[in-house]
Order: sequence, then C-alpha cells, then structure tokens
Amino acid sequence: MTKSRRRRISTVVRYAVLSVWAVIAFFPIYWMIATSFKIDTQWFAWPPVYIPNPPTLANYRNVWLGAEEYTSTQYAISSQTPLVSLKNSVIISFTATFLAVFFGAIIAYGASRYRLLSEARMFQLLMLRMIPPIVVVAPLSLYYSAIGLLDTLFGLILIYFITSLPYAVWMTKSFIDEVPREVEQAAEILGASRWRTVFEVVLPLIRSGLVATFLFILILTWSEYLLALILSKTNVTTLPIELSKYQGTTEGRVYGRQAALAVGITVPLMIIGLVIRKHLARGFSFGMVRR
Amino acid sequence: MARIELHNLRKTYGSVVAVKDINLTIEDGEFVVLVGPSGCGKTTTLRMIAGFEDPTAGEIRIDGRVVNDLEPRDRGLGMVFQSHALFPHKTVAQNIEFGLRMKKVPAPERQARVRAVAEMVRITHLLDKMPGQCSGGESQRVALARTLVTNPSTFLLDEPLSSLDAKLRRELRAECDRLHEELKRTFIYVTHDQEEAMTLADRIVVMRQGEIEQIGSPLDIYSRPASYFVADFFGSPSMNLVAGEVVHEDGGVRFRSKKLSVDLTARYAHVPPGKATLGIRPEHVGVGFDGTGANVLPARLIEPLGKDTLIYFDDGTERAFVAVTEGLGKAALKVGTPVSLAFDPRHIYLFGSDGRRIDPK
Repeated sequence: MTKSRRRRISTVVRYAVLSVWAVIAFFPIYWMIATSFKIDTQWFAWPPVYIPNPPTLANYRNVWLGAEEYTSTQYAISSQTPLVSLKNSVIISFTATFLAVFFGAIIAYGASRYRLLSEARMFQLLMLRMIPPIVVVAPLSLYYSAIGLLDTLFGLILIYFITSLPYAVWMTKSFIDEVPREVEQAAEILGASRWRTVFEVVLPLIRSGLVATFLFILILTWSEYLLALILSKTNVTTLPIELSKYQGTTEGRVYGRQAALAVGITVPLMIIGLVIRKHLARGFSFGMVRR
Repeated sequence: MARIELHNLRKTYGSVVAVKDINLTIEDGEFVVLVGPSGCGKTTTLRMIAGFEDPTAGEIRIDGRVVNDLEPRDRGLGMVFQSHALFPHKTVAQNIEFGLRMKKVPAPERQARVRAVAEMVRITHLLDKMPGQCSGGESQRVALARTLVTNPSTFLLDEPLSSLDAKLRRELRAECDRLHEELKRTFIYVTHDQEEAMTLADRIVVMRQGEIEQIGSPLDIYSRPASYFVADFFGSPSMNLVAGEVVHEDGGVRFRSKKLSVDLTARYAHVPPGKATLGIRPEHVGVGFDGTGANVLPARLIEPLGKDTLIYFDDGTERAFVAVTEGLGKAALKVGTPVSLAFDPRHIYLFGSDGRRIDPK
C-alpha cells in the first residue's frame, strides 16, 4: 500500500469516527429543538417523529408569552413566569460569575506570585468543590433562613460566587503562571504600583483565559439546580427550576413546552460561546504548550 | 546624578550563596559592565540594585541614600531586560508611553516625548505596530526607548543583546555606546560576553562564584589579568594557559611543562619551585619555520581567518596551544610541519597554584 493511499484511508477512518461521535453528541440537542416545534401528539409518537410536521410555534408562545394555545390536548399551565426566571438567572449567574472570576484572578495572582498557597492548599481548595452540594444544602438552608438570605437574589449570588471561586482560582492561576515575571517587573520599574501592574498588564495578558474561565463558570451557575431549588422558594426562581415545573404531577410530561423552555435556556450560552469563540480557543489551549 | 555603592552586598537562596559580600562603587556617568559565566551572581547583583531581589545582608546606596527598602519604582532607575519584556497587548507607542503615564505626565507632552525618543533610537516607523510584529532587534530598540523616555538616572541592562544574532548585536552595541555618550548617564550592563564587555565598558567587573574577581579598565583586564580565571575569560582566542612547574636550574628560573620549556627572566627568581601555570596570548607567541629552538611542535590544525591565521598545537595538556600569525596562507603551512615557538618574556604571565597572578619583581 502506498503512503498516500494509507494517509487517505486514515483520513476517511478519522472522519467516519468523528462523524459518528458528532451525531451522538448532537442528537439530544437536535431532539430538544425538534420537540420544541412539534405539536403535542408528536411528542411521544411511535415510531418517533424526527422532523416536526407541521412545525408549530405554539410551545414557544405558550411558555414564553403565556399564550393559551392548545391543539388537541389541554395543558393549563398559566402560572409560569419564565421571563422573570430568565431575568433572575441572568442577574444571578452573571453577577456571581463575574465576582468569582474577578476575585479568583486576584487570589490566583497572590497564589502565583507570592506563593501564598502551596500545591497542597491549592488542591484542598479544589476539593472543597468536590463536596456534594446535597451534603451541605440542608444546614445551609437553615443558616440562610436565619440570616434572611433564603429566597433572595443576593443569597443565590453569594452561594454561587463562593462555590465557583475554587474553579476560578485554579483556572486563572494556570494562566497567570504563564505570564513572564519580567513583563511585570518592567511595568514596576517604569513606575506602576502592584495593583496597576495587575490591572494594566497581567489581567489584559490573560484576557483569553479569563474569558474561558468566565464561560466555564457561567455554564455551571446558569444550569445549577440543587442549591437553587433548596435556597429559593417562590420569589426567586431560576431557569433550571422553571424547567422542572413542566414535569409536575398535575400537568404530566409536557415535553414540547419543556423543550421550548430548554431551547431558551441553552441559546444564550451558545450565543455567548459563538461571540467569544476566538478567546475560547486561545483560552482553552493556553498553557498546553510548555516553552 | 547617580553614584551607586554596594556595601558588603550578600544574597543567599537557602544554603546557596549567590552573591558573597561584594563591595563596589559605580561613579556617576560611568559605564560599568558586570561580566562572568552564568551563575556567577552578576544578574542577581543587578536585580538587587533594581529592587527585584532583597539583599540578605549589606547595603545599596544611590547617591549616598540607602535604598534597600525602596520599591523599584522609587529608585529612579531604568531597566532593559534580556527578554525585552515588552507589553504584548499594547502598541509600540503605548509601550513607550507607559512609564510617562504612570508618572502622570500630561498627554500632549507624552506624545512629544515618545516621538522624540522614537527618533533617537530610529523606530518612528514602528510606533503603531504591536510588539509581536517587531523583529528581535526592533523589539530591543523599543525596550530601550521605553526606558529612555522616563529619563532614569541609571540604566540597568540585563544581557540585552544575548537573544540577537551577531550582526545585530554589533549594531546595537554601538547604539548603546552612542546613547551613553549622548546621555552621560550611569550604565550598568550585565553580560557573559567578554567581547561586549571589552568594547562597551569604562570599567569591567569580573565576577565568579558570587565574588568579584577583578575590577579594571578593559585594557587593564586584558593586559593584567589578576587570575587564571580572568586570563582565560578574556580574549578571543583565549590566552594559552599551560600547566607545568617552575624549576630553578643552572642559576636561572625556568618554566617546564610536558612539551614546553620556557626561560623566565631573573625577575621571576623570587618564585619558589613548584606547580604553576604559564600564560601567553596567542598573538604574543612567535612562530618560526626553521625547526630550531627549545620549543618545536608540529602544527596540528591550521585555521586561516583571512588577515590572520590560527595555528593549533598539541602541548601535551588538555587544551590546544594556539598561535596567531599574520598573513600566512594555508598553502604555506601543512599539518604536521614542525614549528618553532618563541615566547616573548614581556608578555608572559605566571599563575600560582591558587590561580592568582605572580608578578615579576
């Protein structure tokens, strides 16, 4: 077998394997999107309906606008407020993520430059995050009710900030470690204070890393369910909580509505991912190549 | 104005002593080069002066004032780094402007000064580029401009040219020299390249294992090396250093090695017999082709360099013995040809077993 032929075969095999993998990975997303456009009789139809026929926007109108549009079955879901939840989710996740990345980067700078945290301490920091939330959520809800944080935006922001801080420190530290000391020292001898150096030189240099960290933590807080479920009641619901409401005992499984909501939850993250994809590629590959 | 004094300056890392109690005074406007092999403590010394390393003991004074506890930015110094250390996310102009901005210089003045300095180091065409788009030599000019613009009293340069190719190095070396002439500021320059040290320095400080081995003008260092180490470090090709012994015989003093025997003048009569090293620079070795004399060795390798020709001999020690002769074609000499070597007594050095130079009386 000639070399070029071998190379061609290996390319074909590679693409075949990747294609299969892509189908497996993308199918649930496709199914979610397809279901959101299906009329209710097709949600659980057998054999499955792969392409909505006829496609309908009824699910979206019902979920997001509260329109009472029904086809053959009646689903009386009118108490939902997904737009309010969307607003809550945006406020909570973006604030908590911003705080976590900001303070994470500052702590990481200290850990990297002043050797404040040993390897063991850094690992312990990450281990904090490995504690299953279910273990702490009961005592936490007691604390929260005692200090009046239960069912508040601030309460959820605080807990998300604290729980994602270890990730932020870990991820940003690996980026800061890569920034040459001499660049910082150059700024210092030119008259910059330490804070000025951090904000004018170090953080802009790890911009891509910060963006990657931001998205990573945003995904975690955006989709967090358990803490939100326990620590909020009726005033402050987030989108994942909203999603679970469509699976109640009275309404049954309203897949079409749920899918329409799920699309709404997923799309913002996808848009953000697309907008910052240049930074992501750089951020996620940062530090992979040792000099 | 900047006179820099180091008093018993010491730096240790755990049990490793990087700089051993050095004393040095650098006068205002002087161009001092710290030179030595890697790990000799020269960069650590420079970084202590800059304020990036805290001395374990000793004092650093700038114009008589102890600056040990001052932050780097309060010492009035400028530094050029080996890696250039430009800010990659800022344009060249923003890089140069940075120091002025930190000192809160008003914007119109900043622009004027950036332009002036850019003209001075000939990089005006680069001002809008990013550092990533500049070549190595250009980056170094930018780094120089960034330091120049803040008008520091002293320039600290940490192997600034070591990442550049030979031609650029020569070019920028001349540039450094010109800047020193124009600005009349104190320059402290660290390098491991003896040629750079020789061409740039008013005074050379040779360091070895954390200590100062010798301080002197380039000519001093070259023609009166204090030790075996200095003699070996300076000059290209470096000095011939032949291990052997001093013997007293027939009423005279003689140096003898495995294959060489050199008469020392009566001025070396005070040297006791015993192990010693004889040093002579390749250009001071006389070469004859009549095959007579006390020291005749076969040529082992001939390197014509154009104007000069290097002839290598095997003198029975680990190092090759080298002679330089002018205007000799390769054809005139073949490998294996016996060559008579003559040692000009005025240019002979003798080093004792402790490595220090033994002076004739």
